[in-house]
Amino acid sequence: MKLFKSSLIALALASASSVYAESIAITNATVHTVTEQGTLTNATVVMDNGVITAINPKTVTADSTIDAQGKILTPGLIGSMNTLGLVEVSAVSRTRDASDKKADITFDASTAFNPKSAAIAYSRKGGITSNIVTPRGGESMFKGQAFIADLSGEFDSIVETNSAVLLNVGSKSKGSRALALQNLRNKLEDAKSALAKAKSEAKADKKKDAKEPKRDEKIINALLAGEKPLIAKADRATDILALIKLKQEFGLDLVIADAGDAVSVAKQIAEAKVPVIIATIDNLPSFDALHQSLKSATVLMDAGVTVAFKVNGDTHNLYQLRYDAGVAIANGVSKEQALAAVTANVADAFNYDAGRIAVGKKADLVLWSADPFELSSRVEKMWIDGVEHDTQSRQDALRDRYITESDMPRAYTK
Amino acid sequence: MQKFIPTLLVAAISVSLSACMQSEKQDEKVVFNKNPYPSTYQAIPSKTVLIKNATVLTGAGERIDNADVLMSNGKIEQVGQNLSAENAMEVDGSGKWVTPGVIDVHSHLGVYPSPSAESHSDGNEATQPNTSEVWAEHSVWPQDPGFQAARAGGITTLQILPGSANLFGGRGVTLRNVPSHTMQGMKFPEAPYGLKMACGENPKRVYGSRKVSPATRMGNMAGYRMAWSEATEYKRAWDKYEADYAAGKNPEAPKRDIELDTLKGVLDGDILIHNHCYKAEEMAMMIDLGKEFNYHSGTFHHAIEAYKIADILAENGNCAAMWPDWWGFKMEAYDMVQENVAIVDAKANSCAVVHSDSGTTIQRLNQEAGKVMYRANENGFDIKPEHAITWITLNSAKSLGIADKTGSLEKGKNADVVLWNQNPFSVYAQAEQVFVDGAKVYDRFDEKYQAKSDFMLGQK
Repeated sequence: MKLFKSSLIALALASASSVYAESIAITNATVHTVTEQGTLTNATVVMDNGVITAINPKTVTADSTIDAQGKILTPGLIGSMNTLGLVEVSAVSRTRDASDKKADITFDASTAFNPKSAAIAYSRKGGITSNIVTPRGGESMFKGQAFIADLSGEFDSIVETNSAVLLNVGSKSKGSRALALQNLRNKLEDAKSALAKAKSEAKADKKKDAKEPKRDEKIINALLAGEKPLIAKADRATDILALIKLKQEFGLDLVIADAGDAVSVAKQIAEAKVPVIIATIDNLPSFDALHQSLKSATVLMDAGVTVAFKVNGDTHNLYQLRYDAGVAIANGVSKEQALAAVTANVADAFNYDAGRIAVGKKADLVLWSADPFELSSRVEKMWIDGVEHDTQSRQDALRDRYITESDMPRAYTK
Repeated sequence: MQKFIPTLLVAAISVSLSACMQSEKQDEKVVFNKNPYPSTYQAIPSKTVLIKNATVLTGAGERIDNADVLMSNGKIEQVGQNLSAENAMEVDGSGKWVTPGVIDVHSHLGVYPSPSAESHSDGNEATQPNTSEVWAEHSVWPQDPGFQAARAGGITTLQILPGSANLFGGRGVTLRNVPSHTMQGMKFPEAPYGLKMACGENPKRVYGSRKVSPATRMGNMAGYRMAWSEATEYKRAWDKYEADYAAGKNPEAPKRDIELDTLKGVLDGDILIHNHCYKAEEMAMMIDLGKEFNYHSGTFHHAIEAYKIADILAENGNCAAMWPDWWGFKMEAYDMVQENVAIVDAKANSCAVVHSDSGTTIQRLNQEAGKVMYRANENGFDIKPEHAITWITLNSAKSLGIADKTGSLEKGKNADVVLWNQNPFSVYAQAEQVFVDGAKVYDRFDEKYQAKSDFMLGQK
């Protein structure tokens, strides 16, 4: 934005919903870069025009400077595998847009995303700056397409659509898990041979125009080309191994979510270079996940698996992501690993260029009052695309109303 | 029934006549066993244990640094500095913290166990809006691996409640968190029963969708009132029987009703109310309902909006059991504030409790309380750890009617104790050793004290 600073016309042309981002330098911070640079002390980070423009520059030039007083600066945390912005109140059907009986592999719920949802401002309290939204789909084993949104609360929150294909495999209350795996294999095989056929036909020039693939076929083709991640929810070790086999056979960019019994096949997952997305506090057994424990994250990381964290349960709990990472730390994960698991590793799983503090990266940053994982710390400041956002939510307004003394009915306290 | 009325009338007259004429001859008094499934819990044999040099939160509001805790014969013997005892097994508490055993007033462990399976989904008799006749203890699967996970989180006592589909869900039971292969082997001796009631969305949704009352909140209220009215008549009939018998008459005992037995137990003051109730206006009415029918409205669970009526709760002596931050899953859970527990707690004579309702968060109830403390202190409160611990110990014990037995580290109380690796309100806190009645039931570093349920045994 700096270039246009004096130009009112340029300002007027800028997106009406985005706040004018002045350049900001954060000095004297303990910067956890989540890169090979590790942690930098007394460091300076400069952001401008939505991106990080300098780290420890020789001279600091910025519109404003914030002295971090040694406090911790991290990349903004990244949520995933939830329905933030698609569900306001889970039990109120008219506020739900995450699923539809007819939803198939093409289902793109990003058009239903509501940046004004009360859950978004609330989630900022947890230092979450962006989120990978995963709709719940319908009857198809494919649950649709993930999309990425930031937590600015502005109408231009959508960062990217059609970011990954969502798939559910595993235990069924009716029927057999085998059929989903079989259907998946068939789909991949059919698409692969159709592609080969189209290629040979094109070569032989038998037809004037190659037949345009259908929308769902294009998505499967993108999976076969490894262009789009396949996020498969699976728990039992046999399902995980079956997916790994498909990855190897078809060259899929596979990510496994939930991964309850991943600990039983950690070595195979590591060798296949498949990242997993787990809820660190899921430790109670199911028949598909008999071996998960609070140490699952540690076991997987020790085996060399790339692990990302998500919260368990309801989307409204997304703000707790940092605490759940804290529980993983208490059970053996290092703080560096835990931070990567809620920033860079999440981003990487979805081929999303975020989650690190490095020059040229998205300026999504959080300055913490203290240890980001502790219950006692809080977000002091946060920036999304280089613009500062507060953490005030509806909950704060309600609290203030009821702790403020007044002679008038509470409804007059606003 | 109509055609039997004259017959019954004759019988009643003849009974009363004979009672008048032969007052010296009484039939055997009809008495029901109020405890037909008695506790068989036996404390695990214990040694005298002395924890040395720890930071102690007594649960009764005190913090004592560099303090020792002495347990013997299953009881708290002494808490103070520089204690010594002969033949005591000493535990070094340096750098560690000690609290009373954690109590969860709202759990469904055993009735909705892991693994989740239809065959074990025994927590809610959602077949009619009043199922006061069911007892959660009859559904408890003691092999639920969740009990062990909760023990590793310092839980020594927990109340198992039926679910919330019904206006009256049935009786809850308070358990010691010790491994046993029978429910009775876990049952907390002499703890009062609870009666689960539910306000709001759940009953009206479950029954309204079946075109059965209640379908509205006013239907909920009507359902409670009709039940309490019937229970009042039932109690009156039994009280009259008792009084007449005591007066030497030979009255005929009223017909026993298992459903009304539970409601009468509440009216007699033997059974405590545990009321799933989120919203301020509903809690305020449930308090009046109790006054209308002469019982105490007890503890409100999931009291998301308790902060709006903190004064009313304190004035009426109601406990409110709350989550720190769950919200948004239902309309009645929309108005959550993170400081709810602290706002309720700030009133004189309040009883703020942090509960879980979850097999997952029950494992970290200490941290759930911690979240409230820190958020409240950021917003003008000044809550200390020695106070916040009461939300998961002494206040919980009060809610369950067992505060004379557990909930604080006071001489003579059950030695239910947790040794934490650090301040229990840290995200990194872990229970290292857990004692129930002075016996070690969990040790993080000694597999000998890590129980395993039958279900998990031998699983590959």
